[in-house]
Amino acid sequence: MMPLRAAAPLALQAAALAVALALPAFVGANSYALFVATQLGIYTIAAIGLNLLSGYAGQVSLGHAAFVAIGAYSVALLTVDHHWSFWAAAAVGMGLAAGLGVLAALPAFRLNTWYFAFITLAFALVFEKMIVEWRWLTKGFAGVVGVPPPSAFGYEFGPRPLYYTVVLVTIVAFVIVRNIIDSRFGRIFVAVRDVEPAALAVGASPQRTKLVAFVISAALAGIAGAFFAVQKTVVTPDDFTADFSIFFLLTIVLGGLGTLWGPIIGALVFFLIPELLTGMESWRMFIYGVILLGLMLFAPHGLYGALRQAWRRLTPPTPRAPAEVAQRTEHPPIAGLSLEISGLSKRFGGVLALDGVEFSAPAGSCCAIVGPNGSGKTTLLNLASGYYKPDAGSVKIGGIETLGSSAQKIAARGVGRTFQTPRLIAGLTALDNVVLGAFMRERASLLSIALRLPYARQEARRLREEALGFLHFVGVADRAETEAGETPHGQQRLIEIARAMMGGTRLILLDEPAAGLSMVELERLELLIRRICNLGATIVIVEHHLDLVANIASYVVVLDHGTALAAGKPASVFNDARVMRAYMGERALQAAAPA
Amino acid sequence: MDFDVVAHGIVAGSLYALVAVSFNILYRPTNVFNFAQGELVMLGAMIFASITSLAGMPWFVAFAATLIAVGLIGLVEERVAVAPILARSQTGTGWVITTLAVSLIISNLVGRVWGPDPILVKPPQPLSMETLDLGPSHLSSYEIALVLVTIVLVAIVESAYRTLKGKAVMAVAEDREAALLRGIDPGSLGRWSFFLGAAFAAMTGILAAPILYASTALGPDLLLKGFAAAAVGSIGNNRGALIAGYIIGITEAVGASLLSPGYQEAVIFIVVLTVLLVRPQGLFGSPNARTV
Repeated sequence: MMPLRAAAPLALQAAALAVALALPAFVGANSYALFVATQLGIYTIAAIGLNLLSGYAGQVSLGHAAFVAIGAYSVALLTVDHHWSFWAAAAVGMGLAAGLGVLAALPAFRLNTWYFAFITLAFALVFEKMIVEWRWLTKGFAGVVGVPPPSAFGYEFGPRPLYYTVVLVTIVAFVIVRNIIDSRFGRIFVAVRDVEPAALAVGASPQRTKLVAFVISAALAGIAGAFFAVQKTVVTPDDFTADFSIFFLLTIVLGGLGTLWGPIIGALVFFLIPELLTGMESWRMFIYGVILLGLMLFAPHGLYGALRQAWRRLTPPTPRAPAEVAQRTEHPPIAGLSLEISGLSKRFGGVLALDGVEFSAPAGSCCAIVGPNGSGKTTLLNLASGYYKPDAGSVKIGGIETLGSSAQKIAARGVGRTFQTPRLIAGLTALDNVVLGAFMRERASLLSIALRLPYARQEARRLREEALGFLHFVGVADRAETEAGETPHGQQRLIEIARAMMGGTRLILLDEPAAGLSMVELERLELLIRRICNLGATIVIVEHHLDLVANIASYVVVLDHGTALAAGKPASVFNDARVMRAYMGERALQAAAPA
Repeated sequence: MDFDVVAHGIVAGSLYALVAVSFNILYRPTNVFNFAQGELVMLGAMIFASITSLAGMPWFVAFAATLIAVGLIGLVEERVAVAPILARSQTGTGWVITTLAVSLIISNLVGRVWGPDPILVKPPQPLSMETLDLGPSHLSSYEIALVLVTIVLVAIVESAYRTLKGKAVMAVAEDREAALLRGIDPGSLGRWSFFLGAAFAAMTGILAAPILYASTALGPDLLLKGFAAAAVGSIGNNRGALIAGYIIGITEAVGASLLSPGYQEAVIFIVVLTVLLVRPQGLFGSPNARTV
């Protein structure tokens, strides 16, 4: 028998579905209840899309009403004026909503998130004005009247079939979005929202990621608009005001931003509120504002989050069997990439952080960069991996010049990296964080993921096993199902290394991996680095811990004030008088020197 | 094309520049772009209009009282809607939604208290809204004064950033934790910047009132045009905001006179999108490096 913890949500889902399907049997075809239920479905479709965009990908759209309006006007104008069939017109509405939206939002994807919020807000305002302005097309304030119901095979849809169609589309939208969230796209949405450097490190383009989320979201708004038009049969500019956009935002915040059921719960509750608020109509926006503010402050995961928390408190978790540890897989050898840096310079304002630095790490070697704080070590790493743009010099990875390439392009060449402070996605499990590393290797298309085709499912399963293997390799397989934010610092570092390896990386840049590790963890790290090196990967490590460096590195460069002070084998470099001076200061050196 | 169109574009553009500067004052130490800023401008205009025309308070007293009142509302906004969100996550954008919520609350409350009718506000003596015949252009003495005052205000704000406190603000904007280590309190700067940013917004509202009237419609309109000026002129750059304000004001005026007034917003929108597409950092900024 299934434990209660797993069974109850399933039962709830089945009950919700049953109520939705049985409703028309109990209410009249022309009843207000059926009308409201249809409308609820339509709004839910748009809210599911907005939740994908704003909840998961973190791009708050304040103009979602405009995309609904595009779908609605497309259907209204094409069916009334040009006698198109509803289905063709709805497809056009979807395409137009996504296309026009992308055109407007394109500049915002490169910028801070709030630009997107402003631009969508402005887009909705401009669109509202244009509907009125282009009277010849949209009939201005009067609106488009008499939108015919959809029909198929010569059969015209009455209120009941329309209701069933809307329910079907809502379910399809929900399932598709669920499948996408549970894939590499969902993981990268969350990465872009929470930890953009991590998205870059696995080779994803944040711009393209936001674009994908937005296209899906605008298309869903478009299809919602199409049904909006046929349900109301009249489409006017007054239907799509700024208030309408706020309404969608409130729906998803109320239900729970970035939760699968959020938009559905939010829409359900929201349809009750106006009934409760009759007589307080003029206070509506004020109440919306207070609810939005209160939820964001006290329940950022909305009603769904609150319910989930209560549920967890009621049913203590059955200790989950740790994910079955994969057989100690033999990891295939890695063909290391060489790294050659010459004449590299970088200036921050008046500070010359790097001044003509030379460095090379032959394929398959383990090299280290050491130096006092502020000597330019991390800057060097950031330049090599494309996070900074250099002022002069050359960076060759595997013999190919990569200077000036973007971080995600360099990552896609097989360059993995870790960060000084681990950059894991706190809300994803350790395993999901590692699977994220394979982002560039995954071949399943958005469509096959959305429809959960066998190929996509097989690939997902294979990658999970592989990721578990890497977690095992770094020694934290027992944490696979723990949220990354809840794992200890030392393990986060190891998970980050596993993520880099998952990406098929051939050159690994480690930024102070030993910082903050205990002695035991340090030994394990040393062993791990040796094992990665033995597989054949090239390792470049920036580190303060000189014992570690002396043990593992075959070649060391000492940076001081942006220039290479000394380079060579660790034993000889660490005995260099200039290096000791830079590290310990002149006086310490004299005191230590034999009299 | 009429020279008058350009002149009126510069007058309107000065107001947009002031809104953009008020955005910048807030943005620099907090990295928060206040979506309620338009409503704070509107609130400034409404409070000032009420206490001068109804209570008959002298101009300067009313001016100071309005600035302090709206500044305090900004402070409350920071404490209630912004600081808790930033405490949860420095990088998150929850404040987009909370400041938007504040804007809904303010605009609805103001609508309840004052009603929808615009209030006429007279400019301070000896300035007036009487149109002067100045050869090719027809501006009033108040409009000319507004353009000049805007330039002076931008210069004052810029010079304030060169003081020690101003540099502290820049340091916090650059790296909050590093500034903290050097004994700068980002929290206190955040509170101050919300107070001053809100007061500056109120002043913008007071200055705008004789030209645009004091009404609830002021908020959303100036929010978007102020954002346009701030984005085109590069966020945080006040001189950039001034020039961008002129660009937005003139484009709007020219667009409206060539096409139709209904196209005002569309024309501005296209200008902003084009600038951001070509130069994401705005016309007067340099692309800033990401830090990892």
